Amino acid sequence: MEQAPLDPERRLQPAPLEPLGLPDAGLESVVGEEAEGPRDEGPGDGTMTENNFWLKKIEISVSEAEKRTGRNAMNMQETYTAYLIETRSVEHIDGQSVLTDSLWRRYSEFELLRNYLLVYYPHIVVPPLPEKRAEFVWHKLSADNMDPDFVERRRIGLENFLLRVASHPILCRDKIFYLFLTQEGNWKETVNETGFQLKADSRLKALNATFRVKNPDKRFTELKHYSDELQSVISHLLRVRARVADRLYGVYKVHGNYGRVFSEWSAIEKEMGDGLQSAGHHMDVYASSIDDILEDEEHYADQLKEYLFYAEALRAVCRKHELMQYDLEMAAQDLASKKQQCEELATGTVRTFSLKGMTTKLFGQETPEQREARIKVLEEQINEGEQQLKSKNQEGREFVKNAWADIERFKEQKNHDLKEALISYAVMQISMCKKGIQVWTNAKECFSKM
Amino acid sequence: MSGGPPKALPSTGPHSLRDMPHPLAGSSSEEAVGGDSTPSPDLLTARSFGDKDLILPNGSTPAGPASPASSSSLLNRLQLDDDIDGETRDLFVTVDDPKKHVCTMETYITYRITTKSTRVEFDLPEYSVRRRYQDFDWLRNKLEESQPTHLIPPLPEKFVVKGVVDRFSEEFVETRRKALDKFLKRITDHPVLSFNEHFNVFLTAKDLNAHKKQGMALLTRVGESVKHVTGGYKLRSRPLEFAAIGEYLDTFALKLGTIDRIAQRIIKEEIEYLVELREYGPVYSTWSALEGELAEPLEGVSACIGNCSTALEELTEDMTEDFLPVLREYILYSDSMKSVLKKRDQVQAEYEAKLEAVALRKEERPKVPADVEKCQDRMECFNADLKADMERWQNSKRQDFRQLLMGMADKNIQYYEKCLMAWESIIPLLQEKQEAK
Repeated sequence: MEQAPLDPERRLQPAPLEPLGLPDAGLESVVGEEAEGPRDEGPGDGTMTENNFWLKKIEISVSEAEKRTGRNAMNMQETYTAYLIETRSVEHIDGQSVLTDSLWRRYSEFELLRNYLLVYYPHIVVPPLPEKRAEFVWHKLSADNMDPDFVERRRIGLENFLLRVASHPILCRDKIFYLFLTQEGNWKETVNETGFQLKADSRLKALNATFRVKNPDKRFTELKHYSDELQSVISHLLRVRARVADRLYGVYKVHGNYGRVFSEWSAIEKEMGDGLQSAGHHMDVYASSIDDILEDEEHYADQLKEYLFYAEALRAVCRKHELMQYDLEMAAQDLASKKQQCEELATGTVRTFSLKGMTTKLFGQETPEQREARIKVLEEQINEGEQQLKSKNQEGREFVKNAWADIERFKEQKNHDLKEALISYAVMQISMCKKGIQVWTNAKECFSKM
Repeated sequence: MSGGPPKALPSTGPHSLRDMPHPLAGSSSEEAVGGDSTPSPDLLTARSFGDKDLILPNGSTPAGPASPASSSSLLNRLQLDDDIDGETRDLFVTVDDPKKHVCTMETYITYRITTKSTRVEFDLPEYSVRRRYQDFDWLRNKLEESQPTHLIPPLPEKFVVKGVVDRFSEEFVETRRKALDKFLKRITDHPVLSFNEHFNVFLTAKDLNAHKKQGMALLTRVGESVKHVTGGYKLRSRPLEFAAIGEYLDTFALKLGTIDRIAQRIIKEEIEYLVELREYGPVYSTWSALEGELAEPLEGVSACIGNCSTALEELTEDMTEDFLPVLREYILYSDSMKSVLKKRDQVQAEYEAKLEAVALRKEERPKVPADVEKCQDRMECFNADLKADMERWQNSKRQDFRQLLMGMADKNIQYYEKCLMAWESIIPLLQEKQEAK
């Protein structure tokens, strides 16, 4: 079983007071549109039933999106989209679901939630949000955030995010997450009151640690490389896929021109006319079929994007480890140096450079009483330092253990999800081929009647 | 070639069997073959058919000038297919075996022309000669000169228009060979053109250049006279049926031009799609190298996309080699047909002008002078030949386009079938549960 991190500050929820049900493995995503397949199986379905401590099961859905206008922080009018989040609790006995909560949230609030989770669960691979701006678009797709197709895909992405958090054995118990689903007003203030922004590690500190750490856990180093490469390869894949989609669109649409010219030609022909005319109609059908085909493919792209962003989450965990490890190394170094100093003072040899040594040379030796005092201070510091080092070590080990457990969980999830994504992609291609065969067979038959 | 009075031309007007001389009867003494052959009432064995070969689905024959057709011949023609029954066909021509010749001055390709015939015009039952494009061009010019009242099939384009296409590449040579083969076959199928002396020489002469130099000008009487019709006569109005043909050809050529452009555009888009696919597939391979459990599935997808890319490449090649050239041929065909129509207009204009001139000379006895009669004959022959050829052309055009478009549909079906197979075969691989970790 995975444990919550040791830091007492982090534990905000007052034990299981408001139990958050663990979502059923076969979670139905109650979507406004047709149910989206890939999410139904849910991440971690195998492990959930084992860890099911809660009596109630819940269903979460982001069922609607609405355009709103309001005033922003600078009192300027802005347009944004709000999303309706509905939570249903499923009665254990008869499977009926009852709507328990319903509120509206905008994208920025989701971001806030995630940033909070990143700070308080640095050992967890935190599920990513759908992209803020449309990227990897091919020309027909709009890059406009207000475009209804983009909004729809984002709605699905946000729902997916909530489902992933809710099905995570640790994250699902978080109080702020619970409040996100249940407390519309004042939630932002509640989150900010946790002061999590202050606790966040500075990027600069993290970068520094990455470069200077001497002995990180090998597994994390490997994982870091993996996540970098994964990001790179999926980005490349998405870019090329967008271009492929663009070209494919062109091929299909140009065939539509046959429809018109066959029709015009058929007008001057006697026996050939009918065959040409009806074949032309099939060419029109062919040309218009590409729109649905490519729309389906966008879902595949979204599944890849999720893992592109997951790579960043992996990276974040590695960074945290590096930071902690660096911190530990610095503390150990500091302790060693203090011990050294102490020894030197005690024995009278000056091997290390110190300001005191410098001033001593300049202004004269200090008195034995002064020296004693300094030794005493140092010994206290050393003591403290040893305590700190011990707990840092402990923390570090806990972190590595817990993080690695979540990483293993993540790997399983990733392999499962991506396989499903590839299968559904293959199924899409098969469907496209079958449609193509159908249309051209129909056209061939019309030609044969010419 | 058929000499004698214009009325004796096989493709004109209704005549009884007895009146129809053998196509080669009474021909000029320059005829190298046959010499005096008695008019045979049964023309059907001696020549291959054009317009009488086709029985349309509703049972009627094409509405052309009613040449005498024996019932046996009609019975033989039960399918719409233009493939002439082996029994009555007596001339077979094939173009194959292209070879490159490298000489000091130039490099060029020759093709082997194989002829098999039982016709008396041919000394031997079989011939095999080598010809180059120039020779075909010569033949076509000669045919146009000597048979101005008939529609001469087009040759593939002389020069390669599109930039850097290799004249000696396998694909180009093969495309050209097919076009040249079609050219000769169309002539072979023509009841008049197939008996043309120049055609015979082309098929049989060992040294064609020697013949070219001789400048044999064996023209029909009509041909001879038509050739000398000078321009300068303005036609008042085309008769309805020829106007209709003219309009048809104009629109037809226009539509074909559009289809050609569309087809080219499709090929261009498909090639660009192919370029992207060729980058897309390998990325899955790169990804596969990073993964453990997903390695095989990803590699499988990469291979699959590779197979689809290959299938697409084949499709674009097929379309370029088989589809576009035929379209272009028909555009050239309709262009040459339009100029034949214009020549016909000239002949009619001359006749009408002469007729008018006679009408104005009031002192003449109301007898039509001989030269005006000759003009009238010329015009009527031309009209008849042209109408017959148009019928013939319409039918083979229908066959050709039916085949062409069905072929296009077929190629696309095959492409999708290849892709379908690739993706279906990968599903089990993707669904495989990895037991060993």
